[in-house]
Amino acid sequence: MNPFELAEPRTLKSAVKLLDAGDESVRVFGGCTALMLMMKTGVFQPTRLISLRGIESRYSKVTSAGDGSLRIGALTTLGALGRFTAVKKRAPVIVDTLRTLSNVRVRNVATLGGHLAHADPHMDLPPVLIALDAQVVTAATAGSRTLAVADLFTGYYETALARNELISEVVVPARAGRRAAYVKLTTRGADDWPTLGIAVSFVTDGKVLTDARFVVSAATEKPLRLASVEAVLNGATVDDALLARAGEAAAAEAELVGDARGSAAYKTELLRVHAGRALRKALAA
Amino acid sequence: MATTLGKNNSGASSFESVGRSIPRVEARAKVTGKAEYVHNLRLPGMLYGKVYRSTVAHARIKGVDVSAARMLPGVHAVYTAADIMKLVPDPHYGPAFHDQPVLAIDKVRHVGEPVALVLAADPHVAEAAVQMISADYEELPAVFDEIEAMTSKAVVHEVLKPAGTFPDLKHLKGKRDTNIALDFHLRRGDAQKAFAAADHVFEHTFRTQQVLHVPLEPFVTVADPTPNQLVIHTASQSPSFVRIEIARLLGWPENRVRVKVPYLGGGFGAKLYIKLEALVAIAALLAGRPVKISLTMEEQFYQITKHAATLRIKSGVSRDGKILARECEVWWNGGAYADIGPRVTQKSGFTAPGPYDIDHVSIDSYALYTNLPAAGALRGFGIPQLVWAYESHTDMIAKALNIDPLAIRRKNILREGRPQATGTLMRDAGIEQVLERLARRMQWEKAFDHEGSDNDKGTIRRGRGIAIGFKASISPTTSVAIVNVSADGSVMVNCSTVDMGQGSDTAMAQIVAEALGIPVEAVTLVHPDTDVTPYDMATLGSRSTYHMGHAAKLAAEDARDKLVALAQEVGLSAETTPIPDIFRKKYGMQAGNIVGVGSFIPPYTPPEPGTGQTPDATPFWMIGATGAEVEVDTETGEFKVTRLVNIVDVGRPVNPAIVETQISGATLMQLGFTLSERMEFDAGQVTNASLADYKIPGIRDVPAVMENEAVDMVQKSGPFGAKGVGESGTFGVSPAIASAIDDAVGVRLTSLPLTAEAVYRGLRANAGRPLED
Repeated sequence: MNPFELAEPRTLKSAVKLLDAGDESVRVFGGCTALMLMMKTGVFQPTRLISLRGIESRYSKVTSAGDGSLRIGALTTLGALGRFTAVKKRAPVIVDTLRTLSNVRVRNVATLGGHLAHADPHMDLPPVLIALDAQVVTAATAGSRTLAVADLFTGYYETALARNELISEVVVPARAGRRAAYVKLTTRGADDWPTLGIAVSFVTDGKVLTDARFVVSAATEKPLRLASVEAVLNGATVDDALLARAGEAAAAEAELVGDARGSAAYKTELLRVHAGRALRKALAA
Repeated sequence: MATTLGKNNSGASSFESVGRSIPRVEARAKVTGKAEYVHNLRLPGMLYGKVYRSTVAHARIKGVDVSAARMLPGVHAVYTAADIMKLVPDPHYGPAFHDQPVLAIDKVRHVGEPVALVLAADPHVAEAAVQMISADYEELPAVFDEIEAMTSKAVVHEVLKPAGTFPDLKHLKGKRDTNIALDFHLRRGDAQKAFAAADHVFEHTFRTQQVLHVPLEPFVTVADPTPNQLVIHTASQSPSFVRIEIARLLGWPENRVRVKVPYLGGGFGAKLYIKLEALVAIAALLAGRPVKISLTMEEQFYQITKHAATLRIKSGVSRDGKILARECEVWWNGGAYADIGPRVTQKSGFTAPGPYDIDHVSIDSYALYTNLPAAGALRGFGIPQLVWAYESHTDMIAKALNIDPLAIRRKNILREGRPQATGTLMRDAGIEQVLERLARRMQWEKAFDHEGSDNDKGTIRRGRGIAIGFKASISPTTSVAIVNVSADGSVMVNCSTVDMGQGSDTAMAQIVAEALGIPVEAVTLVHPDTDVTPYDMATLGSRSTYHMGHAAKLAAEDARDKLVALAQEVGLSAETTPIPDIFRKKYGMQAGNIVGVGSFIPPYTPPEPGTGQTPDATPFWMIGATGAEVEVDTETGEFKVTRLVNIVDVGRPVNPAIVETQISGATLMQLGFTLSERMEFDAGQVTNASLADYKIPGIRDVPAVMENEAVDMVQKSGPFGAKGVGESGTFGVSPAIASAIDDAVGVRLTSLPLTAEAVYRGLRANAGRPLED
């Protein structure tokens, strides 16, 4: 590891100022769990690291608004996220997802903002947040903007964020009868990056599904909504045949990537079967 | 603590210290972070070494440019093979072949092979300098597959260079243009004739993958050139070997090399023979300063691994399931350097037919060089690969003949007193006891419910399987121990057995306490230090409890005899006088020592060349069996091991609690090799060289039900009836799980690891709709 400069700004605004739009070797970190691995293997050699740990404490908190939405500060650690009563109550699928997300040591330092901005397609919360219609609020010298988590990811480890732009908050809209579930499939032991991730959500009166979201991750270069599955689900009544049709649609639409965890063909079969199981899990949620 | 010698209990059958689950003597130091490890050692003036490694699998080295690295401020020195050879003209080492150079000379033979070494006081500077080195290679055709290596034009070593240590390698000296580092053959009866006469002949081929040990303490060595000696502090399982081999390389007498080993953070066979020691020792001598190299977890993937293997088994079987003849061909992928691979080929080779009573046996076992990282010993020394093959084969035969898996084993197992394939008679080998105990704990003869117990829409099928294996101890090997009784009656045991987590310090203390008839609390262990602890072959192959246990017992008995004589000399009775009083009477004060010495080598007869026959192949047999229950998802092939029952014969357990952790530890290690661990390669480069991508089992992968048991046995030739325990838990795991999957869904897998995708592909193939890519 080469020597580098470490900056510890006290405000988000000054952190943004320390970023350099033209220099890839200047990076911010929250928990530094991902960057540290890249630095240890020599994949990333920083000239300047900007620690966000000293910025305003409101970015490490979760607040719930009167309309039922959640505002999650980007520096909230994944461990803390699952312990907020508001999250347990309004987005239990996040709490469920966190149980098998990495391990307790990582969860206690890794932050939600870093989890999203890293844009590793194997991350567990991006598909879940997409299924919940969540948005990110960003800060840049030019000002703030809001974009859907679904639009944040542009490719493999690539985001729509400018180099001098930071995620400051994540907003999860009110549930309003929405049910959601995440299924993480691992094929080489329980503690592994997912072979395939499936996040689903929908509104239901107990029989008919509406406003469905169906997201696949891990076997894709970025988390993806599958429109054909959502079309199958919207307005339909839940029965075994519907779930089977959803699985068929998912397998037909998704273009999955093979790797050491499984071939593309096998992952497609996993998707075909687990699509329906994920929907059942959401129905039971 | 005024202790008195207990009565001589050598011939007794009940004991005071042996057989008690006393807590490990080092447990408190370990859990409070106070135990000593080489990783924590820093010496004044110490330099850190970082290794520049080959990026190609097989090439001639046209040049190595280290000039920029040497110029980097803070770099003390950069060495290549040319520098090494100034001090050691022929810097090749290895236990079986002198084939491994300290740094690559002229050629590189695998990705990751050390080519140059940077020394700096700051390890980060050394690391940065390594990035500035470049090498120019003329690439050569490479061979990676063990079967191709038999005949390939790509030859890893132009000339074979046996070390001269093992008589059965001598005929290979100077042999050219071959990748076969050892061919072992065993012939008993006439297998070909018996095949012709058999009702059925079955033949199957099995594969195992390359995996590695992954000790959580990676390799680490410090060498300190003091005025009179070279002191090597190293995380090694074989301090005596390190001393002898470093002394040989330097042309020094043994007493000028001192090797010290504190605790190890795991070894599993990785930290044997020479690993970093030669490089660190020579670098320290060249630099004239202490040098430390600590490998990263990633670098471990290029240091030493476990053999991938291809195994072909053919059996002639009677209508009613009696195995009449067996032919085994085994090809061991040894990687670029032989390490101890040829021993795996021979020592495991001769048990390739399994624990079965077969009159006609033919075995051909080949150690092969390839352009992959070297393979050596790993917990089981080849046996888990063999058991995987022969137990899968056994169940495939049973299924074809519609015979129950337990019944076919009962019909064929080697019973007490019967000759094994080498002709050696089975003695104190509880094959039958282990099998019967397993059957009982599995309730094998009761009906088994194959339907899923949970309500997962009927997609779950359950299955069960059993497997049994055995292993001979490596032989002949020597252990020497010293028992030193101080004038206050406290006792130190000097022995070079390395406690790498297996609990040997505790076991040796119990054995010595038993032999002296004193409380175990009065005994402490002196950790390996070749200046003060005598020779031991190595801590490997489950040999320490038996071999060092014998030596320690003999040393204690020697001390006891001397103490009794001393008491007599001063007119006292050793059996009634506290030990300190005997010393005081002799020396007039608290003074003096009694030093007992014990040396042990078991009887052994080398196998006849060509036939492998010997009346005395091993001092003892290790037996291990596993029963597995699984749940398979018939829609996806995903499966879960829900129960593992592990039964072993370890003779009389010296410390039952430690024995149980040895069984469960071995089983879980093999569970990883069965389900998730696999080194992935691209042109010889490991593509998953990290713990994120190479998956060892985690706590959530442990089966919900695990039962571990040592059957009630006594190894009559062992110290207080004990024998080895470290590996037996590995034997049956892989085939038991594969058979359970077959029992559940009718998919028979013949390659490790067993993956959900492989099961799914099998389900699809059975349904006549193979999965297309």
